[in-house]
Amino acid sequence: MSTDGYSSRSAALWRSMGFAALLLVVLLAVNLVLNPARFHPAAWGALIGLAAPLIGAALASAPVILGGRGGIDISVGPTMGFVNAIVIQALFLKAGMSSPFVLIPAALLTGAAIGAINGFLTTIVRIQPIVATLGTYLVLTGVTLTILPAPIGPAPAWLKSMSGPLSILPLAAIFLAWWGIRRLPYYDQLMAIGSDDRAAYTAGVPVTEVRFIAYVITGTFAGVAGLMLTALIGSADPNIGATYTLIAVAAVALGGVSLAGGRGGLLGAAIGAIDIFLLQSVLTSFNVSTYVLQIAYGAILVAAVILTAVQERAAKRERA
Amino acid sequence: MMAKLKTFLASTNGRVFGAFVIAALLHLIGTLAIPGYSSPFAIRAMLVIAALLAVASIGQTLVVILGGIDLSIPFVIGFANVVAAQLYGDGWNFVLVCLLVSVMAALIGAFNGYVSRKLDIHPLIVTLGAGMVVQGCVLLWTKGFPSGSAPSAVSAFVSIGGSAGPLPVPWLVPSVVVLAALIILMMARSPYGRRLYALGSNPGAAPLALIDPVRMWVITFALSAFFAAVAGVLLLGFTGSAYGDVGQPYLFQTIAAVVVGGAALVGGRGSYLGTIAGVLVLTEINTLLIGLGFQPAMVQAALGLIIILLVSLYGRERHVSATI
Amino acid sequence: MPDDALTLDVRNLSLRKGASAFSQAIRPGEIVGLAGLDGHGQERFLEVLSGLKEPVAGDVVLDRAGRRTTVTSFRTAVANGIAYLPRDRRATGIFPTQSVLDNFAISTVERDARFGLINTQSRRQRYDVYRQRLSIVAPRPDAAITTLSGGNQQKVLLARALALEPGVLLLNDPTRGVDVATRHVLYDVFRDLARDGMALVILSSEIEEILLLCGRVLVFRDDEIAAEMTGEAMTTESVIAAMFGRAA
Repeated sequence: MSTDGYSSRSAALWRSMGFAALLLVVLLAVNLVLNPARFHPAAWGALIGLAAPLIGAALASAPVILGGRGGIDISVGPTMGFVNAIVIQALFLKAGMSSPFVLIPAALLTGAAIGAINGFLTTIVRIQPIVATLGTYLVLTGVTLTILPAPIGPAPAWLKSMSGPLSILPLAAIFLAWWGIRRLPYYDQLMAIGSDDRAAYTAGVPVTEVRFIAYVITGTFAGVAGLMLTALIGSADPNIGATYTLIAVAAVALGGVSLAGGRGGLLGAAIGAIDIFLLQSVLTSFNVSTYVLQIAYGAILVAAVILTAVQERAAKRERA
Repeated sequence: MMAKLKTFLASTNGRVFGAFVIAALLHLIGTLAIPGYSSPFAIRAMLVIAALLAVASIGQTLVVILGGIDLSIPFVIGFANVVAAQLYGDGWNFVLVCLLVSVMAALIGAFNGYVSRKLDIHPLIVTLGAGMVVQGCVLLWTKGFPSGSAPSAVSAFVSIGGSAGPLPVPWLVPSVVVLAALIILMMARSPYGRRLYALGSNPGAAPLALIDPVRMWVITFALSAFFAAVAGVLLLGFTGSAYGDVGQPYLFQTIAAVVVGGAALVGGRGSYLGTIAGVLVLTEINTLLIGLGFQPAMVQAALGLIIILLVSLYGRERHVSATI
Repeated sequence: MPDDALTLDVRNLSLRKGASAFSQAIRPGEIVGLAGLDGHGQERFLEVLSGLKEPVAGDVVLDRAGRRTTVTSFRTAVANGIAYLPRDRRATGIFPTQSVLDNFAISTVERDARFGLINTQSRRQRYDVYRQRLSIVAPRPDAAITTLSGGNQQKVLLARALALEPGVLLLNDPTRGVDVATRHVLYDVFRDLARDGMALVILSSEIEEILLLCGRVLVFRDDEIAAEMTGEAMTTESVIAAMFGRAA
């Protein structure tokens, strides 16, 4: 690749997530000043553990959004909750299986299967993604509550130990997997479909298959995120998973991934998620009520997407 | 014959008709399976619940036809519910309270529409963020413990046991029927309605046809928030006391009603009559499943399955090759 | 010529920084053709005339019997008697989920409104006038516009523009993807409109079409008017030569 191509690529990268990155630096600095003990480098491991499920949910949400034409998976959160319930309630407590070599594949397969169902509904039955995944959202939350009416614990020791610094491992695994995908022709096909599916179809890209696979990837990543959630809470809780969905979509948008598809990447999604986590952290350290937290949260989300949009418009005008 | 039926079901009218047939079938199943399913009280209860959902779904219908989505509806419902109760409890005139709540709700909606269209940000994010701010403000104001109640007139208006003159239903039901007729008329026959469909159908062509997209989005989202506020006040009468999360079930139910009623989330297609059919389907499913002894969790799961099933029957999108 | 005929007065217009400015007057009853290789400014010129794009310098003024209005936006342009027919029927023309009638009436939807509600009879009557005049073949006007052939869709779009009763009609490649029979119907309509005093500006990618219809042609090259020809001087060779920047 020529240096010229590289610089234009990094410029595009900066345009799409420059604001999120800037916000990250600012929020990190604010956190360091406000709360030096909590943000001491020695405590970063624990912090990553706290942020991991949200980052995982954002990473999981991204692939289908990149695929465009309204692609979205609002069942990511419930999938995490379902994986949480299956791993702890069904496999660990009922069936007595605690080996990571059973639980990890089980979580990944569960996620992938849900992703495949979503993919089947959206690409082959061709139901609008938000409706199809709303359906699976309701089914999964209902089933989760049925097999697990109340929170229950504990989680296997190895899984609980993944809640601290070690939670970097599943995140790294997702990034590694995505890094691999980016080297495949599949990635280019996904992005091409995301920016213009008709043109991609005319150019011979198998639109249905590519989108289907994106849902499977999203589901699998959501399975990993479900494991991270399980590690963090060290138990099974039927009510937590679903709360991640909308925040994850917000994180993805904040990280410069276009909800129209074809623009952005997983790094942006992760930065967006970290932004939201750091924001929660700043607000908490002000010791404000959860109500103020929520106001600030919503306001900054809206302000952030507005600023990103304004910046993009300015950049576009400059180029024109 | 089959082919003809298939094209009919693929048309907008066909989808609406199909949804009504399904609602009727569900009611028939309920009547056969559950004793008392068609008792006057049960039907009254269903009508009231359906009427409330129908009001909350007006905005979602308009916004979806426009090609957007409004996630702020449950938050605005909660906002109106709590603020109306609180102010009325503080001794305000209730008409004034309603006026104030409507104006504030319309402003929230106008903000949603303006920001989403003007800056080309997905309304999913904007309405979610704005909704969270609104809910936070309400919680902060009431310190999490809203007080106050509805005037007895509002309670009587929506009470399941109420009657509207000779009719054995509360005034809410005939009022919503009239409101629905007005909304349907507005969408079919007013310049606003025709522009709404046109803009949702092809946003690129709209400005050349003298449609101002930003103006349309502002008006439509304001209407959506306004009707959410109306639903919030009505719910106050229904439940008797204020509750900030009263709107939460309406987040997915309004979307489900609109979609089951045959609207396409990409815009330009759908009708409020369809949404009414969707509302009836959802209400029947809910009542039927609870009547059959399902736990709320399983009712939710079944609802999800049925939405998928119904939409795969008649809400399928075209393959990309058919859009070239 | 009617008294309220509209003249389009283009003064010192520049389409690109550094491109030389030009002035033009497009008079009632005239059919002016715009030619040029793709992207050489003719389309931008048409969009500037319609107020959709801003010129780098100069302005477009509408003159109606001495009353002069400067075009500042698409809305002022339309409000003062300009109608514009876009090039890409699918992307910026039709509303695919809507009926033929809706597609026809949308730009003038307020005209059928009585007490805020559309009078369907009045709308139908307005449509019928243009259906006959443009010989639109649409078995059912309440059927979706996508059930019509490309040529008939184009006629409906032209009817939508004409319903504005414009003094100046700007046509962006109006016969693109239209069958030969429909083309000749359109040509006759354009000539009739000019005879009634309308000014027409037609951008066309086919030189033959311009030679057939227009009394005058402006050939664009590098965002400037490279040549202006009328009458005998307008030939396929001379237009092509100007498009490529050669002396004829």
